[in-house]
Amino acid sequence: MKPVFILPVLTMGLLTGCVTTQTPSASSQIFAMDTVMSLEVYGDGAQAALDNAVSTIYHLEDLWDVTEEDSEVSAINQSQGQPVPISPETATLLDQSKGLSQLTDGALDLTAYFAVSAWGFTTGDYRVPSQSELDALKTQIDYTQLSLNLEEQTATLPDGMRLDFGSVAKGDLGAILSEQLQNQGITSALLYLGGNVQTIGSKPDGSLWRVGIQDPSDPEQAALGVVEVSQKAVVTSGSYQRYFEENGETYWHILDPETAAPARSGLTSVTVIGENGTICDGLSTALFVMGLEDGISFWKQHPELDLDIIWVEESGNVTITSGLETTFQLTEAQSDREVTVIAP
Amino acid sequence: MTPLRGNSTQKLTRLSLLSTIALTIFMIEAQIPVPIPIPGVKLGLANIVTVYGMFALSPVDTLLILLVRIFLGSVFSGQMMIFFYSLGGGLCCWLSLCLCKRLFTIKELWLCSPLSAIFHNIGQLLVAALFLKSWSVFAYLPYLLLSGILTGLFTGICTQFLLQRLSHVQNKRK
Amino acid sequence: MNRTTKLVVILLLVVAAVCSLYIFRASTQTSAQQLQIYQHGTLIQTIDLAHVQEAYTIELKGENGAYNTISIESGRVCISHASCPDQVCVHQGWISDSTLPIVCLPNEVILEITGGGADLDTIAG
Repeated sequence: MKPVFILPVLTMGLLTGCVTTQTPSASSQIFAMDTVMSLEVYGDGAQAALDNAVSTIYHLEDLWDVTEEDSEVSAINQSQGQPVPISPETATLLDQSKGLSQLTDGALDLTAYFAVSAWGFTTGDYRVPSQSELDALKTQIDYTQLSLNLEEQTATLPDGMRLDFGSVAKGDLGAILSEQLQNQGITSALLYLGGNVQTIGSKPDGSLWRVGIQDPSDPEQAALGVVEVSQKAVVTSGSYQRYFEENGETYWHILDPETAAPARSGLTSVTVIGENGTICDGLSTALFVMGLEDGISFWKQHPELDLDIIWVEESGNVTITSGLETTFQLTEAQSDREVTVIAP
Repeated sequence: MTPLRGNSTQKLTRLSLLSTIALTIFMIEAQIPVPIPIPGVKLGLANIVTVYGMFALSPVDTLLILLVRIFLGSVFSGQMMIFFYSLGGGLCCWLSLCLCKRLFTIKELWLCSPLSAIFHNIGQLLVAALFLKSWSVFAYLPYLLLSGILTGLFTGICTQFLLQRLSHVQNKRK
Repeated sequence: MNRTTKLVVILLLVVAAVCSLYIFRASTQTSAQQLQIYQHGTLIQTIDLAHVQEAYTIELKGENGAYNTISIESGRVCISHASCPDQVCVHQGWISDSTLPIVCLPNEVILEITGGGADLDTIAG
């Protein structure tokens, strides 16, 4: 027996004392797009990739901030019906959003900005508009009026309508960052973009990311359940995320484009899990507006999207799609809830 | 115990039989839930066939059985990543067994099993480190080494018994 | 047993012992909850929550008179007072695990606990 044989084994055993598990190679917490974002990147080249990701976030924030005078979205909003040149990122986002609006028959509509600000959700000066005001506002919501020229990279929006990317911006940011990080050779990363979660690959040890789903009835404390994913976006739209109360009535930020008022569909949150963050983000809003029954039939009609969905009703009942049967679990404190599984 | 002799049909039958046994053990073991949530920790029952083959047959025959088991095992489990992990682990394990065969006699066979289990785990970790481009997976090494030694002793003793019984059968046939 | 066998047996025993020791040490360490305090995106302080003997507060000053008062007790933390208009961080109350960090958006303050009981990587919502 040669000692040469012993050495590698022993040193390997001892060396591992210095290695810590699961510490991100690079991480960052930043404030952007009016929310908090936390990025964890693992593996070689993590720091450089993370730095690029952060500058992409700030760049897209500049383009898509509706409250900023010289952003692209403001330029479209102030165009008075004239074509406005837009960047490739904005063109792609608008194109995808229009596609989602068509797919959901207008349940997602980016042109609801006038209504959103009338309710005060943009500034925090909340108020309940009168019925006649709402009747006027809802005529100003119509995604079909937005026209895109992808060859010349221009967008045209009629005067009297206003765009807002709020319902898709963070999801699209996740999709863009995911692609960008992977192009730089990153195979494992966790992006938390103000409630939206985008995972790249699996955890460094190969296991799945454990993503908690917030409990709409007690969003600040315990999670409702956990879903295990890899290479997926997890996006929730919930009435608890932004709301105000007036005269005993609760009004939240997810508006029904048909009424220009908060969508009352009997749901408190919808979580969409899929490969593409833009689709997940846009559809989580649209599915919230649609309600449970229409949402289920939408899911059944569109297997090509390859999505998994979690619906939480006001009653507390949870409905999940069949793909989540093994990967979704209620947390212990929530285990008495009723969970219905929908098959395709 | 002598290396397998006889015509090629006999050899083919023996190899296919052992491959099937290895694959069956592998697939059944995959269904047993492991109480420890660390990737790579398992009983490694299929290693019984590898160690047995190394001592009862030849290293080349054992390699053939091993490769067939790894390939079919990952095809049947439907996860291609398993193929690469198993291949890395399997090859390291096989190399260490080749060395063991020179160092030990059949009486110390129970020792070869934990040694090969350790090298199987190291091989798996190397593949994982290669894929994830990060050495941090080696933080699992102590867990895998300990479990490898314990489960290896278990499968080693199993193999020792197996060899005794099988040699009995073989002698009778002769 | 010949010499080689003895050597290998001893080697295996040593490896097993070293591993057991490592695993024991690792498993006793992970129960510690680390509180990380971020301001404007930079980590400014890390506190071992599990070993806080007496409750105390930290005053976190920001620009233009902004402040957050952080109350720290053994195993939990909250923001007890803050200058922010929405007071969301104060209303969140105590947190003791990694489920959800306390975030004060206006003052750009994050209190995050790692290594606690909940084994979630993040939370969507």
